[in-house]
Amino acid sequence: MNGILAILFLLGAGILMPGVINRIRAWLSGRKGMPFFQHLYNLRAMVRKGVVTGHTSTLIFRAAPSVCLASVFTAMLFMPVGGLEPILSFRGDVILFAYLLAVSRIALILAALDTGSSFEGMGASREALYGAMAEPALFIVAGTTALVSGYTSFADIFPAMAFRGFSIELSLVLLLLVYVIIKLITVECGRIPVDDPRTHLELTMIHEVMVLDYSGVDLATVTVSGWLKMAALAAVAGNIAAAVTGGGAAAVVGWMALVVAIIAVVESFVARNKLSRNTTYILTIVAIALVLFLVAFILESDIKVG
Amino acid sequence: MIVALFILACLVGLPVFFLPVRAKNGYFFGATAIFAALFLYVAASVLGGHGDLAVDGGPANLFGGSKLVVDKLSAFFIAVVSLGAVSAALYCWGYLKPYRKTKPGPHISLHLFSFLLLFVSIVMVVTARDAYGFLFSWELMSVTSFILILFDAGRPEVRRAALSYIVMMHIGFVFLLVGFAVVSAKTGISGFAGMEAYFGAVKGIPLFLVFLAGFGMKAGIFPLHTWLPEAHPAAPAHVSAFMSGVMIKTGVYGMLRVVSFMGPGLSTGGMVLFVVGIVTGLYGAFLAAVQNDMKRLLAYSSIENIGIIFTALGAATIGYTHGNGLMAACAVSGALLHTLNHSFFKSVLFFGAGNVYGRVHTTSLDALGGLSRRMPVTAAFFLCGVVAIAALPPLSGFVSEFLIYYGFFDTVSGGAGGMIASICGIVALSLIGGIVLLAFTKLFGVSFLGSPRSMAARSASEADRLSLAGFVIPVAGILCVGLMPSFFIGGLLTLSTEVYGLEYSPELYASFTGKLWEISAAAGIFIALTLGLLGVRYMILRRQKQQTSPVWGCGFSTGSYKMQYSGESFSEGLYGISTSLTKNSGGGEVVDKNEIFPNEHTFNVRHKDKVSTLLAQWWRESSRRVGKRAVRLNTGKVNHYIMYALVFLVLVFLLTITDVI
Repeated sequence: MNGILAILFLLGAGILMPGVINRIRAWLSGRKGMPFFQHLYNLRAMVRKGVVTGHTSTLIFRAAPSVCLASVFTAMLFMPVGGLEPILSFRGDVILFAYLLAVSRIALILAALDTGSSFEGMGASREALYGAMAEPALFIVAGTTALVSGYTSFADIFPAMAFRGFSIELSLVLLLLVYVIIKLITVECGRIPVDDPRTHLELTMIHEVMVLDYSGVDLATVTVSGWLKMAALAAVAGNIAAAVTGGGAAAVVGWMALVVAIIAVVESFVARNKLSRNTTYILTIVAIALVLFLVAFILESDIKVG
Repeated sequence: MIVALFILACLVGLPVFFLPVRAKNGYFFGATAIFAALFLYVAASVLGGHGDLAVDGGPANLFGGSKLVVDKLSAFFIAVVSLGAVSAALYCWGYLKPYRKTKPGPHISLHLFSFLLLFVSIVMVVTARDAYGFLFSWELMSVTSFILILFDAGRPEVRRAALSYIVMMHIGFVFLLVGFAVVSAKTGISGFAGMEAYFGAVKGIPLFLVFLAGFGMKAGIFPLHTWLPEAHPAAPAHVSAFMSGVMIKTGVYGMLRVVSFMGPGLSTGGMVLFVVGIVTGLYGAFLAAVQNDMKRLLAYSSIENIGIIFTALGAATIGYTHGNGLMAACAVSGALLHTLNHSFFKSVLFFGAGNVYGRVHTTSLDALGGLSRRMPVTAAFFLCGVVAIAALPPLSGFVSEFLIYYGFFDTVSGGAGGMIASICGIVALSLIGGIVLLAFTKLFGVSFLGSPRSMAARSASEADRLSLAGFVIPVAGILCVGLMPSFFIGGLLTLSTEVYGLEYSPELYASFTGKLWEISAAAGIFIALTLGLLGVRYMILRRQKQQTSPVWGCGFSTGSYKMQYSGESFSEGLYGISTSLTKNSGGGEVVDKNEIFPNEHTFNVRHKDKVSTLLAQWWRESSRRVGKRAVRLNTGKVNHYIMYALVFLVLVFLLTITDVI
């Protein structure tokens, strides 16, 4: 029962997040902005429209959106929300979580290459490169939480973290970990400063140019899996932060909202990176994560020695 | 007994030479299948817990009582070898068909005969226990695989690759010879028993390094890997599959044996293995990502997988020395399972490359594209291999990497020893995983998706049924391991506990393996959900109009197939890193930036392995220098030559009376 509540909450969060981002962006730039549920109206419009596929594309192109959404959804089944235990959990499920997100990425990369267009190849190449660079960061984050909690499954990690109290130093490390995850979301979900979802020039796109040839219900599926991916990663951040500050599921909600707000604020004030700078940007995230792990390791060993 | 097995294989293989050309392949497949069935039966009975099998009989005096022992580790490798051999034998039935017209009969016979001998010799390698039997089998393995590589000997690059292969293998052989000689000289016992006695008493790091060089040469660890990317593209597909999937694993087998005997020197040896593994894995992954030839990319990916296996071996010893039993058990089981998995998915991938070569007559990525429309079954199997090798759930590669990862994560979470090594392992594995993802999306995307880049690719058609039948066993293996991991993990954990003499605590394992069926559950949910979503999509689209149109090209439709991303451009982002590892060579004229309306240009780029060019250069230079000096001895006067003989005799005499030899 708890598991179903958790997954429903995550689905709800995924559906609401784009609206929150849009509203905050509109407010900060002094516009009236679109309605809160505009992204859902768009979704409805997409589902109602027919699908156009390229001449060269095969079954892979048509199946990829479903694979993408299914893998993100399966990954979410491992994610607890505060005290709500997830449906699935086993020791080491953090690894499966990370790899399921990789499945969603590879599905879209192959679909992009399936079209045989130079633009989509461009997007696919960039997505593959940035994904490869960012992969270690997610694993180090998972490793750090495993280190401070003593468990290797999300369902055990977050309650264990919430249960033990953290010293002020360790709390800082964990909050910085949340910062790393926010940066990771910008990479994995194609947000500013890594990628601009609203850009109009194919040459500078990453994620958008990969799905350039999708239309109708396929595009809707890809869009929804993007939202859910963001919700899943934000839930990792929210759970960590809530474990530090305490407060159970309500705190998770609050922190996830804050994470989304930060993403929206960054999008309002920061320009996107030059493409050539993205590799450095991503490797910096990995480096920060590694430093945080080492600091946590040193702090933890101190506790054990003293 | 080893010799008896060898003679038996020769006798069974001989009729191939006398059969008509059409029947050769069938006979060869039958013989391989019977041998494999026999070996699998033995392996299954040993793995099933009927105790080790020791056979000591046959014409023993030939090699001083060469004993054949099958313990669980041997049995596991026998299973890997047998499965790989059967699928390769089945595949080559179809693959060799076009060659029946172009190649003379004895040529094909020799090829098949060598293949059978190679298969049996690998089984001999993993069962021999004394030094003579082992080295004999090892050498037989190198020679037969050398003949197999030479199948297409008309092409000069094949001859070059085979030559470099046989030279490297013999350098490796010398290392092993020295290793076994030192062992038997120091302990008085030859073979693996002597190794056990030696490493149990001495902290034998130098000898460990000697064995690492010998076994690593076969396995292809950095920087001894240079034969792999040459030999695999040169050999026919089934040979590459068998060599890459199975033969190089004998190096892993050897290191597993060495490590299992290591006593006091274990921690240093473990660190060496760990670092070598990580370097090999990263190097293989980066180099694989920049290759533009299907088979060369696959060869580098073999290096990368060997790197992962060696990393796991190193992690196992690190865990063992820290008293971290679960990490050691997970890492060894991960290494073993990855060995099995790699033989499956690398067979699939090489068979796929073979089918492409059979139809398009090239494996260069720049001449492929759009093959999934023309060869749908091959493409589906190939995609299966790609997903598995990229370690993505729900297929098999994920399971073995999961085990290795889990060993690391458990260490990190448990606060046990080896934590720094564990985080290094996690970072390295995830980085390797990411790069491999890039390499294999490139491989599959550029060759099978998009539109064709050459006329040959445009007119390609599906391979014949026999060639497709070869895929069945490895694909079934990939699915079995991927969808039912808990079945394999439990058995492997027990196996590795026994091999390594780890402390066995059922509760510890049970708490780990108890809920592992949820991997299968997640895989099931994932597949069901995908199918469900596709069903929904179908329902929605049934009521709507569907149309195909040209692909968006910025207001134009994408005009030419040349505008697609090529393999070279796909991995462009890695240039910053790869330029330090590779030496670019190529011909033609690159388009200048100032050329506003470019004319037609042709140029090609090849990313040559810097290590191998440096090694080859060093080899060439030093042999030239030695040759220059040695030529002075060649005076052409008979009296000088007689004097050399005299000097030699005096030298032998002096060495004998001073007890040096």
